[in-house]
Amino acid sequence: MTRGGRRGRQAAGTALPAALRDKRILVVGGAGGVGKTTVAAALALRAALDGRRVLVCTIDPSRRLATSLGLERLRDRPRALALSRLGPRPGGALMAMALDTRRTFDALVERHMADEEARRRVLQNRFYKQVSSAMAGSHEYMAMEKLLELSGDPRFDLVVLDTPPTRHALDFLEAPDRLMGFLDTSVLRYFLKPYFVAGRLTLRVATRTGAMALRLADRFLGLQFLQDLSEFFLAFEGMYDGFKARAAQVKDLLRGPTAGFVVVAGPAPTAMDEALYFHRRLREGLMPFVSFVVNRVHPDPARAGSTKGGGRTRPPALDRALAEKLAAVFRDQQRVARREGRAAAGLAARTGEPTVVIPERDADVHDLRGLKEIGEAALKGKA
Amino acid sequence: MILDDLLARRLLILSGKGGVGKSVVGMALAVAAHRRGKRVLFVEVDAALPAARILGDDAGLSSVNLDPPEVMDEYVRETVRLDLLARKVLDSPVYRRFFSAAPGLADLMVLGKVMVLVEAHARWSHRPLHDLVIVDAPATGHGLAFLKVPLAASEAVPVGPVGNNARRILRLLRDPERTALGIVAIPEEMAAVEAAEMHRLAAEDVGIVPRVLFLNQCHERRFTDEEEAAVLRLAAAGADGPLAPGVTLAGALVAARRHVRRRKLTRFYERRLRRAVPAPLVTLPYLHEEIGPQSIRLLASRLEAA
Repeated sequence: MTRGGRRGRQAAGTALPAALRDKRILVVGGAGGVGKTTVAAALALRAALDGRRVLVCTIDPSRRLATSLGLERLRDRPRALALSRLGPRPGGALMAMALDTRRTFDALVERHMADEEARRRVLQNRFYKQVSSAMAGSHEYMAMEKLLELSGDPRFDLVVLDTPPTRHALDFLEAPDRLMGFLDTSVLRYFLKPYFVAGRLTLRVATRTGAMALRLADRFLGLQFLQDLSEFFLAFEGMYDGFKARAAQVKDLLRGPTAGFVVVAGPAPTAMDEALYFHRRLREGLMPFVSFVVNRVHPDPARAGSTKGGGRTRPPALDRALAEKLAAVFRDQQRVARREGRAAAGLAARTGEPTVVIPERDADVHDLRGLKEIGEAALKGKA
Repeated sequence: MILDDLLARRLLILSGKGGVGKSVVGMALAVAAHRRGKRVLFVEVDAALPAARILGDDAGLSSVNLDPPEVMDEYVRETVRLDLLARKVLDSPVYRRFFSAAPGLADLMVLGKVMVLVEAHARWSHRPLHDLVIVDAPATGHGLAFLKVPLAASEAVPVGPVGNNARRILRLLRDPERTALGIVAIPEEMAAVEAAEMHRLAAEDVGIVPRVLFLNQCHERRFTDEEEAAVLRLAAAGADGPLAPGVTLAGALVAARRHVRRRKLTRFYERRLRRAVPAPLVTLPYLHEEIGPQSIRLLASRLEAA
């Protein structure tokens, strides 16, 4: 594969800067709890400081990060952040927004459902209320919808999308398909529509399996739920094709040259398996991979301490207990650092992909300055 | 004390942000319970690296890694009974696309399976098969999404077996005699904020008051105050020289100062969480070793001492 070869040769240090310079969409993925949101914000800030107009779209940011991004008062509308103190290049701007799944879903219904009565029926449907807010897949689906909307927005040169935290990093890519499969009214028409469209019960369904499935559904879910459900689907029927078309558009967009994926992983050796899996699936899905970011790798104390004079200088007289404790702390930290460093290097070696390492910091990141430092580390921290 | 209270339940659910070590805490609790002679089952959901590799498989201490689609198929098969027909439905595209994609249904089935495991009895006996079931709740990232499913389902499905099951699960979850919810956090901003929020929302949204907060990965004090002062003095003076084979003093001072900063952060978040969360807080140490049977045993001993 020529593409693989080219990427393989690309130095770890250049893939991310190139993507931040040239791409229009950067999707930041990874398992929950690895610092995706922070990395996404840091990369967005970096691109903005380099002169691009960048939007970072995040989902459920922690409060302090939200505060640092100026997000505390905003829901789902892009808001500009003040970068002047960080010395951005001319033209550079950073906007941030938090995705509100329910409101995005509502807005879609409002926009694409012409009939006011149908619109009201959907928005008040018990089933819709569950699907649109809490349920699995809707966050991911709405993130995709939002991405499509934002990608055509002339105000932004680059959109950095922080993906929803999921059980598996991959859920983000598959959830829209699952939700679409679920919303596919042709499946529902198969057994629900003839059931309810007449407004009364009839078990005359097209096929025997259909009838079985229906009886099964009735047994599991009860009549009331099936009624809510069929009402929901009937109301949705006209929108489904539009949903599907946009989902296909997003897929094309994400496979195109203007998009790129950054996979963030935690430093534990076990986290690498997940990163490898995500990478494999991205390649299978022909999604353009940019780089791994191994976040929060503990630094080796030997590298930070002076090693030049260490061998020759005579150490001051130390209390023996203190000397022993100092050596123990050093060795403990070094053990962790080496294990994590090996894991990150292994990731790069096994995939041949650019892999950067962001060192663990001693303090939490909660301002733009901290994000700037992380962005800088991401651009130079080779595994 | 708190451990006695927790282990006297039938079901112990651990919740927390991804990456805080829920499964490690859960395994340590399982080992601690097993040491007290309880028959423990550790339940994971779709774990990438199942606990069995660490816990082993003992009659009194076993683990199961639930795969949501499998649990769902099993449920349908049991409900439908007539196997031939069930298979036909299970194989049909309608089932695949509808049932397996129905939002939240898989989570509901998993919780239903947990309930079955809690209620399972040994054959010809009133004694439960497992004295204690410990569940490592999946980190959906959306806080309590997993635990909210039974409530959402019981509201969305007013009648029928799924709705009834959801209500039964909800009763089990909300019964403080049988069930305890533990929240796991680490001494870091995002995890601490989320833990405090989770504690509040568990009570408000789901009707479960968390019984305990585990603060995992705590950096514990290794130097006395005088030693910490000496470390700062030496570092400021640029002290260096060989300290031990492969260890320079300068490197060790860097490590020591990092440790002190992390220890202080640990204390800061511990205090903050003690103020913010009205539940007993149990600290567990940060481990430099990779997680394995030995480290789990160590954490179990720490739980016993808590």
